[in-house]
This record gives sequence, structure tokens and C-alpha cells, in this order.
Amino acid sequence: MLVVENLIKNFRDVTAVNNISFKIEPGKIFGLLGPNGAGKTTTIRTVLNIIKPTSGSISFNGKQITSDFFNKIGYLPEDRGLYKKSRAVDVISYFAGLKNLDKKSIAEAIDYWLDRMSIENYRLKKIEELSKGNQQKIQFIIAVIHNPQILILDEPFSGFDPINQQLIKEILLSFVNSGKIIMLSTHQMETAERLCSDIFLINKGKEVCSGSLAAVKKKFGGNFVKIEYQGDGSVLNTLDGVINIDSYSNYAEVQLDDGILPSDFLRLAAGKLNITQFSVMEPTLNKIFIDVIKQSSN
Amino acid sequence: MKKALVIARWEYIEKVKTKTFLISLIVTPAIIIAFGLGPTLLTNQPDTTTRAIGFVDTSGIYFNSIRENLEQIKLPNGQPNYILINLTEKGTNFKAIKQNADQYTLNGKLTGYLLILYGGTDSVKIYFRSENSGNFKDLSNLEKAFNNARVKLKLAGEGIDTSLMSFISKNIDIQPVKIQKGGGESGSDFLAVFFSSFVFIILLMMMIISSGGMLIRSLVEEKSNRLIEILVSSCTPEQLLTGKVLGLSSLGITQVFIWTLIGIGLVGSSVIPADTFNNIIPVFLYFMLGFIFYTSIFVGVGSIVTTEQEAQQITSYLSLTLILPIVIAIPAMENPDSLLVHIFSFIPFTIPAVMILRLNIGPVPLIEIILTSLLMLLSTYVSINLASRVFRVGILSYGKRPSLKELISWLKNE
Repeated sequence: MLVVENLIKNFRDVTAVNNISFKIEPGKIFGLLGPNGAGKTTTIRTVLNIIKPTSGSISFNGKQITSDFFNKIGYLPEDRGLYKKSRAVDVISYFAGLKNLDKKSIAEAIDYWLDRMSIENYRLKKIEELSKGNQQKIQFIIAVIHNPQILILDEPFSGFDPINQQLIKEILLSFVNSGKIIMLSTHQMETAERLCSDIFLINKGKEVCSGSLAAVKKKFGGNFVKIEYQGDGSVLNTLDGVINIDSYSNYAEVQLDDGILPSDFLRLAAGKLNITQFSVMEPTLNKIFIDVIKQSSN
Repeated sequence: MKKALVIARWEYIEKVKTKTFLISLIVTPAIIIAFGLGPTLLTNQPDTTTRAIGFVDTSGIYFNSIRENLEQIKLPNGQPNYILINLTEKGTNFKAIKQNADQYTLNGKLTGYLLILYGGTDSVKIYFRSENSGNFKDLSNLEKAFNNARVKLKLAGEGIDTSLMSFISKNIDIQPVKIQKGGGESGSDFLAVFFSSFVFIILLMMMIISSGGMLIRSLVEEKSNRLIEILVSSCTPEQLLTGKVLGLSSLGITQVFIWTLIGIGLVGSSVIPADTFNNIIPVFLYFMLGFIFYTSIFVGVGSIVTTEQEAQQITSYLSLTLILPIVIAIPAMENPDSLLVHIFSFIPFTIPAVMILRLNIGPVPLIEIILTSLLMLLSTYVSINLASRVFRVGILSYGKRPSLKELISWLKNE
């Protein structure tokens, strides 16, 4: 388990990260979400032991993170780049060597990963001769080649086409099953929603909300229903407990007062309209993100 | 340390394989040879045609003597190099003669002409008028011929045998001999000191510039493509720094070694005087300390810059500061005991160059060697320390260059 406690990081007069705490359990994908400049990268860098926190502690299985943990951590930074003039196989070997992998394991791991990523043919090509997507694959291999216990991924899907996104997703899920600790930082709320079981929302260096995805949705979700009907939808406005209505041609998304149950609302509406379909809406993480960040920024 | 070696190996092998490195191996010595030999070859190139030189002298006393002197200078084919034509006509006015002579010169019939004023007096003035005032070789030949003629005329006038002339004009050089405790002695001339000292100083500078430049470029590359983040999540900044310096220094040594081999191959090993290796241990010590000192400055500065252009600018400034020791080296060679040289022996930036030089010129008191070495060691330690502090923070800051205030806070390790 990776535990971050009361982490504070000041840069001169700016507080980039202001007293945040979270836990990441093995076998779960932890989503670190937040707008640009929220403190995500700083948080990641302190966990990676690239920069020292001003105060607070980061520990893995009860031990403080130090430079001894370098070989246990894999990192995929958001900005991608590689040594353009070097051959793919050499670049991967170099970084694997830096993680203290021995020559034999490096060779085996390279064979495995090039095959798994289906870029075996590019082994001896220079990086600059590879397409952008294939360069991204090399970067992903560099992050995981030493079979790290902790994997930190910053926007792992950006730059990949849907087929390769699927491939990366499958690999990540297989890591979850093998009990790795995975921290995912992203702006793509759909991705976070599909993959992460726990999320941590950060804005201006502070925690905005955190917890399991289901709990967060419940807490910030509000009370929404989708109602499809025939006839004049304007009568919905007259019903009790309606806070807001987004009307479309033959359906409406209705936000209800927390005090009213969707089933009670259905009963009320059924008297006025010919309802063809009714469902309770789950708020998207995207909406929660926007709402919560707006609220906390004000 | 293992990780530093992995980095060193990578930096070395990946750079050795590049075309840029192969080209620099050949181009740099080619440029140095062109600079060193080009002008000498050109000025030593003998003339191929005889030059017609006009002569105007109203006193009329120099012509024969100068002509005799000039006739001794031959072209490679045995023809005389100069023909002296007397343009002085009795009775014609001086202004007309001069105008005529100018005309001949401008027409190309004459290369130029000698104009002697107030001949025979102590305040004699002589001019060489030509279209092209830059031919130093002609000028020096004419000057020699005139001065010779003048002294001869004076001797003859005083009734002294002109055969004494050759005795008077001969200069005997003093041969310097370096004596050592224990009875050894060795001939030492300026050239030997020049080579034994300058070779090291210039090699040092070339190595610093080439390794330092590579270091900055590789840092800028890794910063701009963010590889630095993966690197520092795999090893400490100190390991990264050590690895890079090790790898690129080895590359610099390889480069300089190959250049030296090319040089010896071209000119022969005779250019390296035996003396060169007398003080090899202290010379090597200063060499390495100087190298590490300057390289760490390159690292510190290199971790601040963020773009290729900035890197180039800064590399050229840093390279300029490296010229300082070379500039000091020449006066130091002429007077190794001057106060200035002693002062420069205690300034970290010039210690290596000046001390290498002094060691080759003559014995340096042991206490000075110890003191300057310690000072150099201390400065190197301090510069490495400061560089790695700047490096730690600098490599992770992108975009804007840090202000002086920020830099100071980095140094304080905040």
C-alpha cells in the first residue's frame, strides 16, 4: 500500500500542494484528477522522490520512499520524448539498465514487450523513424519493463488510436490483477470513470473530493432523472420537487430536489404526460469534475 | 555508482556512433592545420616572376649598393627576384619624376618604387610607393638592402674596411640551458617550452569546450523532451551528473587522443620535446582538476538553459572565458617570475594553465605546487557542489530562465 500523509510542497512563495493525504491499495487503479496547474505533477514528482516534500510523508508498505525505491517505480510522464537518433532496442535497454535489470532479463523483457505491443519489426529502427503512436508504445514499455510494483501514469492514453487505447487498457487491467499499485493522472474523465476504482480530485493544491468512484458519485451526483414522453413537456415545470430541466425534442433531463424520490416523481409525472421511458441518471464524472472545480474555485 | 556507469556508457557509446562526432574528429584538426600552416605556407611561397622596382633618389648615392644587395635574392629558377630601375634623371624636377614614377606604378609597369628623401643625412626618409601596401616580404627585402647600403656607405666614408660589415651584422644568440639539481642539464628554447606547455593548455581547452558543449547539448535535449523526468525517477541527480561527466569526459579524452595521434602522424613525433614528460604527474593533476572544474561550471550553467539557442550562446561565452588562460600564457612564458604570473597562479580559473606553463619553464617551489593544488582541489569541490545544487532544481524547471534571486535560493538548497 502506498500512503501519502499530509503532503505539503512549497516553492518559495507558492504552495503547490497543500496538505493532501491518500492511500492507494494494490489491485486498484487510483485516479489523480484535477485541472491544469492543480498540483498533480508536483504530487507525482514527490511520490517519485524526484523532489522532496516541504513536509508530510510518503511510504510504501510502511517504509518511507527513498532513492532505494527507484527500481520499484515505473513512470510514464505526460510529455513524451525519446532519444531520436538512437535505436529503439538501445533506448529501452538503457532505461531498463538504469532500473538495475541485468542483461539477460532486459533481453527477455524486450522480446516480450515488443511482441505484446506488436512493434517487433521496429526493434532496430531509430526512434525518429517510428510513427508517433509507436514512439508512445516504446515509452510505455520503458515505464513497465522492470515490472514495477508502483506504476505512475500521466495521461497514458493520449496520442493512441482507439485500438491501441484498448491494448493499453487491457495491459493496465492485467496489472491490476497482478496486484500492482497504479496511479493514473488524467484529464479524460471517461477514462477515469471506466478504469479507476478510487479517485482523488485536486484543485489549487488542495483536496476537493476523494473516495471510491461510487461514493463520490453518490456524494456529488445530485438527483437526476431522464424522462421520455409524448405530448407537451412544459407541464413538468409545474411539478413539485423540480429544480432544473434540460428539455430536448421528446425527452428531458430533470434535476430533482434531494427530498424527493425518483419513483414519487414518476408517479406525479405519469398523471400529466404519456411517458414512454423513465430512468434514473447517474451523473458523469465529467459533470462532477466541472461542478466541483467551479464550486471550489469560487 | 553502477547507475552512473550505465549513464556514462550510454552517453559515450551513443555519441561515438554519431556522424557529428566522426566529422568533428576530422574537421577540427583540419581547421587547426589550415590555421596553423596556411599563412606560413602562403607567405613563404617564393615569387615566380621578377619584380621591377623603381628607384628615385636625388642624392644619388644609394643606387648601386642597393642594386647589388637586391641582386643576391634569386627566384627558384635562378633569375633575380628584383630588378631595380633608376628613374632619377639629373636636371628634371623632382615633382615630375615622382609623377612619372607614380604613373609607371599605376600602369603596372613597376611593382612600386623606392623614394628616398634627404639622402645622406641622418634624417633620411625612405618610402616604398606601390598600389598595394601590404606586401611585407618585398618591404622587408627592400629595407634590408637599404640599411645594408647605408651602413656600408658610412663605413666607407669613415675609411673603415667594408668587409667588417658581415661581422658587424652578425648576431649571436644566447643559448638557454636549464640545469637541474642532480647534475642534469637540457637545452631549452622558446619553441620547446611553447610546445610542452602550450600543447597541454590547448588540449585542455579543446577538451573542455568539446565535452562541455556536448554536456550542455545533451542536457538541453533531455530537458526539452522531458526524458530528464524518467531519468531522475530512476537515479539521483548526483548519479546522473556523475555519469554524464564521466561519459562525456571519456569522449573528450578519446577525441583529444585521436587528434594528438593525427598531429603526430602528420608532423612526426619530433615536435614533442622530451622535456614534455618531465613533470607529467603535476601537469596531469592540474590538467584533470582544471577539466573537472570547468566542466562542473558547464553543467551548472547547462542545467539552467532550456533551448538550443540559449545553450549555444552560453557555450560560446564560456568558451571565451577559456581563452583567458591562453592569453595569459604568452606573457607568462616571457617572464615567468613576474608578480602578475604569481597572482594568476592563485586564481582558480587560471591555475591549471599558468601552473602547467611554469612547471615547464623552470622549477616551481614545492610549497607553491602544494598550495595551488589544494586551492584547485577546493575550488573544484566547491564548483561541483554548487553545480549539483543548481542541477538538481534546474533540470526540472522549464520555460523561463531563473532570475538571480531564484538561482540563489537554489544554491541555498531551499
